Parts: sequence; C-alpha cells; structure tokens
Amino acid sequence: MKYVDEFRDPVKAQTLAREIRGLLAGIVRAKQRPLQIMEVCGGHTHSIFRYGIQQLLPDSVEFVHGPGCPVCVLPMGRVDDCVALAERPEVIFTTFGDAMRVPGSRKSLLQAKAEGADVRMVYSPLDALKLARENPSREVIFFGLGFETTMPSTAMTVLQAHAEALSNFSLFCNHITIIPTIKAILDSPDLQLDGFLGPGHVSMVIGTRPFDFIAQHYGKPITIAGFEPLDVLQSMWMVLKQIAEGRCEVENQYARIVPEAGNAAALDAIQEVFELREFFEWRGLGSIDHSGVRVREAYAEFDAERRFSIPNLKIADPKSCQCGEVLKGVIKPHQCKVFGSACTPETPLGSLMVSSEGACAAYYQYGRIDTSGLRKKAVAA
Amino acid sequence: MGHEALQSLYPFLHGGKQDAGKLEAALLDAVRLKAEDSVAVKRAFFERNGAKVVAMAHALAAVYQQGGRLYTMGNGGSSCDATHIAVEFGHPITAGRPALAAVSLVADTAMLTAVGNDVGIDHIFVRPLIAQARRGDGLIGVSTSGNSANLLAAFSTARRLGVATFGLSGHDGGAMARSVDLDHCLVVESDSVHRVQETHVAIYHILWDLVHTLLADERGGLEAKP
Repeated sequence: MKYVDEFRDPVKAQTLAREIRGLLAGIVRAKQRPLQIMEVCGGHTHSIFRYGIQQLLPDSVEFVHGPGCPVCVLPMGRVDDCVALAERPEVIFTTFGDAMRVPGSRKSLLQAKAEGADVRMVYSPLDALKLARENPSREVIFFGLGFETTMPSTAMTVLQAHAEALSNFSLFCNHITIIPTIKAILDSPDLQLDGFLGPGHVSMVIGTRPFDFIAQHYGKPITIAGFEPLDVLQSMWMVLKQIAEGRCEVENQYARIVPEAGNAAALDAIQEVFELREFFEWRGLGSIDHSGVRVREAYAEFDAERRFSIPNLKIADPKSCQCGEVLKGVIKPHQCKVFGSACTPETPLGSLMVSSEGACAAYYQYGRIDTSGLRKKAVAA
Repeated sequence: MGHEALQSLYPFLHGGKQDAGKLEAALLDAVRLKAEDSVAVKRAFFERNGAKVVAMAHALAAVYQQGGRLYTMGNGGSSCDATHIAVEFGHPITAGRPALAAVSLVADTAMLTAVGNDVGIDHIFVRPLIAQARRGDGLIGVSTSGNSANLLAAFSTARRLGVATFGLSGHDGGAMARSVDLDHCLVVESDSVHRVQETHVAIYHILWDLVHTLLADERGGLEAKP
C-alpha cells in the first residue's frame, strides 16, 4: 500500500538498526547504563511493540513509555462523572470506543450501558451532533477526550452547534495538553531520561516550537516522530545522533505531516472555544498545573459541567496499580505488582491496560512476556 | 492567530501567569471538595466500625492493666502516625491522665538502618521487637495498603512472643485484614491514601481517649480508708 509499505521495509529497518548500533558504540554514556528515550505518544508505544522495534535495538538503549495515551491518564473520578451523566434518563451519552471500558470506581461506561444507560459509541464528535439533531427531546452529551490532536475537532463541533443554535447538545470536556505534562516529567526528581521521541499527531496541530523548552531549558534532545516502524527507527537514530554529537535540539522526522508552525485554523478553533484549567488531575500522575482545558464562558450553554450537576469526586487509583511509576518510566509494565494477574486487557485495573495505546496493554499483547508465572504468583499471594 | 493560541494554551512557555482570580476560585473549590470527601470517609468509617473501635480500646487498655507497654510501627507517612501514637500515650496533654509506656519502633534510626542494611527492610521491626517486647505487651502497625511486608513480619513475631496485635489499614485492608496474626484490624475503606491517613489520625486520637477512660474506671474512685 502506497505511503505505508515504504515505511515498513524490513531491509531499510535493518539498515537503520545497524546505524543505531554504530552510533551507540560511540556514546560513552551508553556503556555505563542503557540510554533511556521516552516515546511520549501511545501511538509510538503501540508501533514499538507491534513491530518488535525494541528487539531490533541493542541493550544499550531502551524505550521508556510516556503518558501520551489520553484514555490511560483519565482519572477514575472523571469516569465516575461520565457514568453519572450517562445514567440520567434524559441523556444520550456519546463517546469514542476506547473510553467505554475504562474502569471507574463503581463501573465503566460499558457496564453502565449494559445496565440500561443510553451510551453510544461514535467515531467523530460530529456524530454526536447528528444524534442531537435527530433526538430533540433528549440531551446529547459528547465525552471530549484527548490531547491537542482531538481538541480542534471538538472545538469545531461546539462552534457548529453554536451556529445551528442546538439547545440539546453539550460537551463533557476532558481534553488535556501534553506540553505541561512533559515539563512535569522533566521536573520529576527520579528522572533518568536521555531524550524524547516527540508526539507526531499533537505536533501536527501545535507545530514544533512548543517543544523548544525541552532542548533549551532541560538539555534533552527531541525528535518529532512518525508512527510507522521506519519513522520510529529513524527518529531514534536522530535522537542518538544528537547525543553522540553533544547537541540538544528539536528535530522533525515527521515533516511530511508536521509543519513547524502547526495548523493555524485548528489552533484558532481551540483558542476560540477552550481556556486553560488552573490544574487537572491525571490518573497515575496526580494534579498537573495548566494541563487541561474547559469550555469558555462564551460557549457555556454547550458545557455539560455547567448544565448538569456532576459529582466531581476525586477518586484515587487502586493502590495495587503502579500506573504512575510506569508513566514516569520508573518501572516497566511487567514489573507492576498486578500486571498480567489481577490486571489484564479483559479485566483492567489500571488504565494503561485499557487502550491499545496503553503501555501495559501493548506489553501484554506484543511484549512476549510469559504471564503464566505472573498468574501463579498472584494465586500464591 | 496561531501564535496567540499557543500563548494561551501554554502560558508558562511565554512567561505567563495564571489568572489570579480564577486560580483563587479553583483553589477554593478544591478545598471544599477535598474537605467534603475527608468528612464523608470519616463518617462512613465510624458509622460502620464504632463497635470495633471500642473493642480495640478495651484490648489496648488491657495491655496497660497488665503492666505491658505499647510498640508502634509504620512506613513513610504511617511511620509519622506510629510515632504520633507513641507520643500521645507517653506524653498525655490532658491533665490528670497518666503517662503510659509506648515506644515508636521507627524512631530508632540506628537500629532501622543497621537491620535494613544487614538483613533487609522486611526485618526492621522484627529485630527490635524480639529485643524489647515481652508477653502481655501490645503492637500497633499502621499501613494504608495493609500489605507492608515488614509490618506483617513483625505481627507474626509478636504473635509468637505473646504480644497483642493491632492494625490500622486502608483500601480493602490488604493482607493485614486477612492475617491470623492480628487480634484487631480497623480498615478505612477508601482508595485515597490521604483520606485513609486522615481517618487513621482520628481513630488513634479516639482510641487514646477511650483507653484513658477505661483505665480511669479501672483505677476507681477515692474510697474512704478503713
């Protein structure tokens, strides 16, 4: 398939892997401990495991799986809020499919649906708008979730609802921003990262400039990366080349998609509809300043948080889950106490096991980890 | 326009500060929500477990009635709670209440680091307990998960030594709630470590008060000398 096959060429992949091994051989730091490169985006995590990219690389470099999976970082209390909204008899609650199974403290949206709540899976926020037009006697709520990548489509939907003066559509806004989160990770005292693969889809919207602080203030190299296997390998090579040459810059491997200045129309829509929250709670990472957005006062009529009473309780993650440590790269998914035993993709405890972009789900599905021992360990405990 | 949007989205990259008024409102809202949650967790715990708290107070009072002393232990924030419990008993702030012997096992840094370094952190409470505890003493362990291996090991040792065992736990009680080595275990059923710890403080303040009431009753009134 054009534009796909050429980015999955195994011969080129082996060539890149050889080049990476050559670079690593010349980096002194890599001889003392494995270099740790964080892939920020869950899409990268999925590709790395799906295509066995870690196995192509030597032990002197390893991927650290970052927080860039919006489903994975959704706090349990917000899922409870979704369920509370969905269980209102007048509400049609619409959501993307991967949010359906995220566990709340009592139940997931899927369980709420099984118990009679009108929860519907949509592929676009515009589908929710269509439902609102078709069901004027019902309140249609769209569960807005995702990073800067999905914010523009949600913003455009609100603008469209405003233009049509739809009175039965609202947004439960849980959009979050990746830049403050990367800063929070960089400020972590147990940080050992040597560089980053930057999020390609987010960068398509915001461009490359917001990442400058990573190189300039924290002295870490970053390459904005695409999602095919050769994209990931080339991006890793670019980051390692920076380390080998003693440089710290923002480089753009995904230039076929990512313009330096981002997408002005998308950014304008975000600016028009959303404003920053003072802080936002992340699952596993806690409260991060300036990391979430809410609907501006001008569009308050489309804000589900203003239109409906929402419990808004802070519910801590299950103590047995170590999602936070995995998200910060302190431990690998299989080192979590409940990985593969109490927490599996079928019955996830932690959110990293829910989405296919979650590090734990990717490890479980593609990581070649023998989980039979983990199950035995759980039974013995 | 795109540049303005980026400034608005990431103000910290451009030297921007939060809107002071909105920040204050958000902080006040957070205070209200967290305080309400804290009260709700405490209320739910004491409504369900009042009789268990009284039963534990009787057992603690019995330790002192037999001339025993109390040992306390915990990790991290719970280690502070353990020391807090010991100082409540050892240094009563209410007039007329006697000082009761209580030792925080976490306060002896030399012993903790020696055992932790030489043997392992799972044994840091076991060794001092073996050295000091006698039949009839009491041991309180505080753990928000109930799964701390060093507490479980110490409870097992205490059981062998004939020491009465008491636990304060959280979440689902963890291994402490299921252990046969604990005589009493109070479980604060919340997933929030903060809410669990806040309720633990209320529990041990109340326990301390009840123990003194029971001991005062035991001491009896001022009878006329024959």
